[in-house]
Amino acid sequence: MHVGLEHYLTVSFLLFALGLLGVIMRRNLIVIYMSLELMLNAANLALVAFSRFNDKLDGQVLVFFIITVAAAEVSVGLALIVALYRRRQSAHVEDLTSMKL
Amino acid sequence: MNSSLIALEICVLALGTVLLLADFWMPVERKKFLAYFAAIALGGLLLAGFSDSSFCQTFGTAFNGAFVEDAMALFFKRFFLVAAILVLFVTAEFSDKIAAGISEYYSLIIFALAGMLFAASANDFVMLFVSIELITVTFYVLVSFQRAKLTSLEAGVKYLIIGALSSAFMVFGIALIWGTTGKMNFTELAAVASQFLDNKIFLIGVLFLLAGLGFKIAAVPFQIWAPDVYQGAPTPTTTFLAIGSKAAGFVLLLRVLFAAIPAVAEQWRDFLIIISGITILYGNLCALPQRNLKRLFGYSSISHAGYLLLGVAAVSATGQSAVMYYLAGYLFTVVATFIVIVLVMQNLETEDISGLAGLNQRSPILAATMTLAMASLAGVPPLAGFFGKFLLLKAVIGQGIATSNHGYYCLVFTALAGVLISFYYYFGVIRAIYWSKEAKDLSPIQLSGAAKLAITICIAGIVWIGIFPNTILNLADEAAKSLGI
Repeated sequence: MHVGLEHYLTVSFLLFALGLLGVIMRRNLIVIYMSLELMLNAANLALVAFSRFNDKLDGQVLVFFIITVAAAEVSVGLALIVALYRRRQSAHVEDLTSMKL
Repeated sequence: MNSSLIALEICVLALGTVLLLADFWMPVERKKFLAYFAAIALGGLLLAGFSDSSFCQTFGTAFNGAFVEDAMALFFKRFFLVAAILVLFVTAEFSDKIAAGISEYYSLIIFALAGMLFAASANDFVMLFVSIELITVTFYVLVSFQRAKLTSLEAGVKYLIIGALSSAFMVFGIALIWGTTGKMNFTELAAVASQFLDNKIFLIGVLFLLAGLGFKIAAVPFQIWAPDVYQGAPTPTTTFLAIGSKAAGFVLLLRVLFAAIPAVAEQWRDFLIIISGITILYGNLCALPQRNLKRLFGYSSISHAGYLLLGVAAVSATGQSAVMYYLAGYLFTVVATFIVIVLVMQNLETEDISGLAGLNQRSPILAATMTLAMASLAGVPPLAGFFGKFLLLKAVIGQGIATSNHGYYCLVFTALAGVLISFYYYFGVIRAIYWSKEAKDLSPIQLSGAAKLAITICIAGIVWIGIFPNTILNLADEAAKSLGI
């Protein structure tokens, strides 16, 4: 079977949807954060596939930028989640309720 | 390639690094004054930009068209520099509440400023993504900077999750747009965008990209983070979020909609009208029952995002220049509001609206400043907020006549209803200052010279922009021309 652009795009859409579902459904901050990374990687997959099939390199260059930025985001994000865990002894979203009307 | 175009950004980044290094040698009790040093340095850059030298005055593109310096970039760069200078003044007043790492806080503000300057010049999806992430990642740290306070950490985590979600949407949107059109550059994309108007994948990409930008400006339905983050973040961060981050979102929105995909903007008028109307109503209605001042201004900033979207929904040059004019007035108003909050709440644990009680006896200057700022936010003539709203509504009505689209008239009535609602809570703040009986602490508030200077600048800005709108309006018109719609 020949694997074409649409196959890659389908996988990428599925990954994106799975990630979004994870962000919405899961209650643990670390798992939510992993799902967010999944969504970013779905975009990376789409970009690389488009690059490959359209014979253009811009998409792959953008992927490098995305990977770098995602690494920076993760380092800040995990530090934040650890700091919150130290204060609250919990990394669940239900516990993020100190600010209500 | 003309890399001298990014001289301003390089200077700002160097300043941020210098501040980080100065932390090593500066005695602890003097670190507070680094803010004034940074503000003076930024002021120097701003003045250098106004003088006749070629420093950030030459227009052109760099980095293969990814970076553009035009009238709009220049307008927003000056805007961001002024915003950062005023925020540094607010931070200096707040510095006692940030126990450790105050110079890191200053340098993070400068790095966020660098991101905003790049955003003002972004003419390419890569540049757009990198600059918006530089702003957002810096703000994750700035929001959660008071690590000892649970609310600050919680606000940081909420901002982090929703921010990362929106950047995932944005990146996916960019991937789809680039995949279907094959163009990263806005100018090149504008030439071909009209051929893709019935391509579903392209339109989904645009929608995802707009979702990412909608998060930055806190437009409905991506506004959910704003009240919590505004409330929990340290007050200087809230100030910078309310002006810098929002304006960065708007400059990118204007560029994407009108420089990259004008054909889609033309087609999606109704969509923009609906978003704008709902944002105005949501922000104003939810602000009504608030007692926490910063939360109140969180909702108020959502409603102002809605007013600003009026100009975007108009899809016309007058609408765009009205957006820029409104932002200029909003800048001084917001800083005036938050510097008063910082000074009044210095010795209070709560940020409740009742903390303002008796302010007219404690410090008549602060009371007058807050009153002026509230009147400008509500849109009382002759202040900046009034003329800004007037221009936005004028642009919308103009489009209503030109296109005979009845949605525009509905939008005007929605906006007017929103303004009427907003009078209630803005004047609630004024009432708390002058007519509240709950005042316990009537000790006078001492103002430092720098605080007086910042307050004077803000008052002068609010009044001057309102009474003599021509200077700013000419600059904004010039800037809107460079978008070419």
